[in-house]
Amino acid sequence: MLTPAVSLIGAFIVVPMVLTVWLSLQDWSTQTGFQTAKFVGFDNFREIFGATSVGRDFKGALVNTALYTLMSVALILPVSVGLGLLVYQRNVAGGNALRTILFSTYMVPMIAVALVWSKLYSPSEGPINQMLGWLGVGPQPWLSSPSTALVSIVFLNVWQQVGYFTVLVVAGLTQIPTSLYEAATIDGANGRQQFTAITLPLLKRTLLFSAVIAIINAVQVFEPVALITQGGPVGSTNVLTYHIRRVGIERAQGGLGSAMAVTLMLSLIVVIFALFAFARKGDDE
Amino acid sequence: MSAASEWRPRRGLLFYRPRPGIGDYMVAVLMLVVAVASAFPLVWMVLSSLKTPAETMQVPPVWLPASPSLEAFEKVSGVINVGRSMLNSAVIATITTTGIIVTSLMAGYAFAKHRFRGRNALFALMIATMFLPPIVTLIPLYRMIGTIGLDGNLAGVILPNLANAFGIFLMRQFISGVPDDLIDAARMDGASEMRILFVIVAPLVTPAVAALALFAFVYHWNSYLWPLTVLQGNADQYPIVISLSRLLSYNRGAMNTNLVMAGATLAVLPPLVLFVFLQRFFVDSIVSSGVKG
Repeated sequence: MLTPAVSLIGAFIVVPMVLTVWLSLQDWSTQTGFQTAKFVGFDNFREIFGATSVGRDFKGALVNTALYTLMSVALILPVSVGLGLLVYQRNVAGGNALRTILFSTYMVPMIAVALVWSKLYSPSEGPINQMLGWLGVGPQPWLSSPSTALVSIVFLNVWQQVGYFTVLVVAGLTQIPTSLYEAATIDGANGRQQFTAITLPLLKRTLLFSAVIAIINAVQVFEPVALITQGGPVGSTNVLTYHIRRVGIERAQGGLGSAMAVTLMLSLIVVIFALFAFARKGDDE
Repeated sequence: MSAASEWRPRRGLLFYRPRPGIGDYMVAVLMLVVAVASAFPLVWMVLSSLKTPAETMQVPPVWLPASPSLEAFEKVSGVINVGRSMLNSAVIATITTTGIIVTSLMAGYAFAKHRFRGRNALFALMIATMFLPPIVTLIPLYRMIGTIGLDGNLAGVILPNLANAFGIFLMRQFISGVPDDLIDAARMDGASEMRILFVIVAPLVTPAVAALALFAFVYHWNSYLWPLTVLQGNADQYPIVISLSRLLSYNRGAMNTNLVMAGATLAVLPPLVLFVFLQRFFVDSIVSSGVKG
């Protein structure tokens, strides 16, 4: 019963995972067989963190990915809570219809999202700058400036994914007993007090889960970069998934690429453990 | 107070309360703004696909095409092989989904209903793979597929994805809820484990299977990084999402936005249509897998 799933996952996830770690210590070209790999110790890591252009590009990608992840999580969590409350409330009809509309964007291939948003962002022919103009805001460069390109990609990702996180929040909200709100109302707590004293604390588990998923999704951003910006302008959108693929597959520097992949994985583990530790510390207080 | 507590929401056209207050109107406006903002990019995509090339380049942008035309949809076929690309996508998504359902049902059943040494450790290892970003294993996996001669081939795209941890997790969650008595009774009657799984257990978890099928189909219809890596250069094996990127580079700089938008519309349709018909399963399974996860 277990054989098909376990052997497939073993062969195509666990084995490549172990190989990635092994290859990160080898000098190896992706064009050749694994047997051509030559052990070089931590040279690959020294190089990707070194002062040469290899090191500069990788550290740039690491910083870009960290910024991108931070901005994504910082937007997705509060927005999904706000939208979740909007879907869950029972004063105005249409909550479920809104949930369907929000979630439908999650079904759209990222490649189509990237294509459409590259046109929406177009500085002169795009509707976003046109609408900003109606509000009296001047035209923004969006994807064409190093200072705004990365955040522009964050926005399009948030647009695509926030419906999924909204559904998670709504699920969390349905688990909160309504009796808590009734008791709070009798005690004279207003809406804001109920939100900070009941809703937020009881959504903690949901938000922790959301944060983990949002982080793991954020480091996978690839299509908008590969298709629209190619990492630019001036390296400002060169993120890890794009960079690792360029080094490890396109330039066939399998050892260097694997060292980068191992660094990414270790960073993820550290961040996620820190997140759980932070959440547990909150529980103790 | 007693009258108020017995009052049950009567669904009006827009408001549940008999006398909506100012806050209710604000909520209604906010919901409308969110819905419009959420739908806008896709609406813009469809509108742009119906415009003339000149209209897509106009400054300030025109929102509605003066005379909507399907010309762009016809022209897309001149640049990329739409039929073949859609077929490739369908083949990848369908075979992968079928594989995932079979392997997930089997493993989910074993993890839920069989007792064996190391069960929890093995399950934990499987679940851990769910959190691994694909880029981490991309480089050796690409070489492995090359070594067995499946690069440039749809089989190479499909093979590594025939089982996944999310499916196993979802099936175990739902199969755990199937009563043991039912399974024991079938065993007494001499039914094989495979027969018990596919004839007795599987039909009882149909909603979860439907949800998994939709998740898997949409995910693999949309997936880009892995097919791009395996198929590089072999254009007649490209799924539609990769062919789309060729539309963008075709005649770059010329007025082909309507073409790109028509192609994007075609690629978006199958997953979106599936979702509209079966969204109830999606939402239910996220709720049950996400919260407990």
